Amino acid sequence: MPTKEKQLTNADRMMLKTVLDRVIPPVDDLPGAGAMGLAAQVENIAGRVPRLHGSLIKMVGALSLDLHSHAKGGFNSLTTDQQDEALRTIESALPGEFGNFLELVFLAYYGDSRVHKRIGWHGRPPQPEGYEMEPFDEAILETARKREPFWRKDK
Amino acid sequence: MAQNELADILIIGAGASGGAVAWRLAKAGFSVVCLEQGQWQKPSEYPGLSDDWEIRWRGDFNYDPNSRRRPEDYPVNDRDSDVTPLMFNAVGGSTVHWTAHTPRFHPSDFRVRSQDGVAADWPVSYWDLEPHYDLNDRMMGCSGIAGDPANPPRSPRPMPPLPLGPDGVRMANGFEKLGWHWWPSDSYINSVEYDGRPACNNCGLNGVACTRRAKGSTDVTYVPEAVRLGAEVRTGCRVYEVTTGTDGRATGASYFGPDGERRHQPARAVVVACNGVGTPRLLLLSKPEGHPRGIANSSGLVGKNLMFHPYAMVTGAFWDDMKSFQGAVGNIILSQEFYETDPRRDFVRGYTYQMVRSTGPGITAAGFSLPPVAWGGKHHEEFAERFGKTAILAVISEDLPELHNEVVLDDRLKDSNGIPAPRVRYKTSTNTRKLLDHGIRNARRVFEAAGAHKSLVTPLLRAGGWHLMGTARMGDDPETSVVNKYGQAHDADNLFIVDGSLFVTSGAVNPTPTIQALALWVSEHIATTRGDLKASAN
Repeated sequence: MPTKEKQLTNADRMMLKTVLDRVIPPVDDLPGAGAMGLAAQVENIAGRVPRLHGSLIKMVGALSLDLHSHAKGGFNSLTTDQQDEALRTIESALPGEFGNFLELVFLAYYGDSRVHKRIGWHGRPPQPEGYEMEPFDEAILETARKREPFWRKDK
Repeated sequence: MAQNELADILIIGAGASGGAVAWRLAKAGFSVVCLEQGQWQKPSEYPGLSDDWEIRWRGDFNYDPNSRRRPEDYPVNDRDSDVTPLMFNAVGGSTVHWTAHTPRFHPSDFRVRSQDGVAADWPVSYWDLEPHYDLNDRMMGCSGIAGDPANPPRSPRPMPPLPLGPDGVRMANGFEKLGWHWWPSDSYINSVEYDGRPACNNCGLNGVACTRRAKGSTDVTYVPEAVRLGAEVRTGCRVYEVTTGTDGRATGASYFGPDGERRHQPARAVVVACNGVGTPRLLLLSKPEGHPRGIANSSGLVGKNLMFHPYAMVTGAFWDDMKSFQGAVGNIILSQEFYETDPRRDFVRGYTYQMVRSTGPGITAAGFSLPPVAWGGKHHEEFAERFGKTAILAVISEDLPELHNEVVLDDRLKDSNGIPAPRVRYKTSTNTRKLLDHGIRNARRVFEAAGAHKSLVTPLLRAGGWHLMGTARMGDDPETSVVNKYGQAHDADNLFIVDGSLFVTSGAVNPTPTIQALALWVSEHIATTRGDLKASAN
């Protein structure tokens, strides 16, 4: 359960790691987002974006308070199916917070160089290099230009 | 100019319209002071040069001031609104983060009452504004190509169109298969070097902020020119009241300076340029003696008739990788096949399709025009389906004015200076919903014709309130409008409004070229007829 100062505890961080593995599971040679060690980056991004920080704290708090999880010894003690069910319950109860939480996790995951390599993303900032593109070629307007003007007159 | 020295013209806001007015009136020899609550931005510090650019886009460059929470931002209570108002507070205003997609209004947009029996006609016509559109295109730097059959003939564009890219070509072919209109977009983005600024290098972040100054935001176009001509821009200055004399005329404005101290800037005329939310907020805050409902508000219409352009977003997924994160994000093609009223339909007015690209992997996953990618077992498959392989058709619908859509002052929410924040009440109308649904159905047909294997729909983009209009509208009748055809308040002949608040109706295109053409039209009027506002005349 996050502290009154809205900080995660070590127990929260352990739970978050498991949650991340359920949100983004392993693929190809990459482990899940939690096993990749991205919980710290999730927390780091949340620290920079107040809106997302609030949602992270609410999400973790809600999972900590989930009665079913509690009875079984906490989120990490559940089976993976039960963990998914707990997450779906929160997704349904707190859709806005859950959406923000996903945003946070996805920004962390897709900002990681190992993921860039897997999806074929160059990983550099868009500037200063930009991208090469073919310049506009007027030939494509051949048909569009044949149409008679059809704007509505105002008089 | 000393801080309390009388200026000829005091402009509040240095964004799209304020920048244009500052340039035109400084050029005409007026002494101009511009108060801006934000700061000059440094392009070298924009997100595009950072590894964490996607995080910054969702953080300190978020479109929503409630999420961005910079010191210069004011909060907006949007709980009672279907659409979230978006803006940027800086020199350049929202042109810092706009896509710079710059279509014009159609002549019919100014004659909605006469032609379709709804809303009201404007007191100006397209033809009144045409020379100002042309001037603005040159000042901001317009790429595009004349000859669009959906619009009146216009002068040659200063630069050729931006690249269409493989995704743009594919969508153009889709429209052509259906026999529907499409045309390359006009954009205030340099396709070649222009006016000392370089060509765009297709990084795709024009909708965040341009590190190269290839995009025409007013902090790199009008405002530096205005400063060169003698205008003074004071940043970090948050105005909380337009002040008036015993005769009811404006005398200047009171503001919090960068140090938090209260100050007053006297002026012979005041020009309010704070956008369609900020302007009514300021007018409602200004309640000097004799103005119990707020200055310029004898009609009771300040803050009323708020219009956005409600957006529906239809995303088409293609099988092959089109690298749809490459190229200017919303500056490819548009279609105005369904722009005008058709009596066979069950709604009035119409919409524009604006083609929009995708972006980087993080925001693709987090949801650009769609909800986030699925979590759990389907995540990787769904991400692969979207990333680099989608195109979007944004349905920009005309929004008709309704009195109950409004900006008021919030009872409790305040900004960092303790000034009451605006509260927005807005519901999409039945006409708008029908119009958007029509746009969604036809967008699906375009995607099918273009070869997409799937199309996904966001019926109403909540975070889509980029266009803020109608809250201090112009007109000939003081009982049904706030300002006259020259943006001059009916209640005070030296108080002018020049931003999107002026709009009588919304059209169905991005409004900034029209906002700036109106600002130049108003400025031209002041420059040519209001010599009484110059120090030399007093």
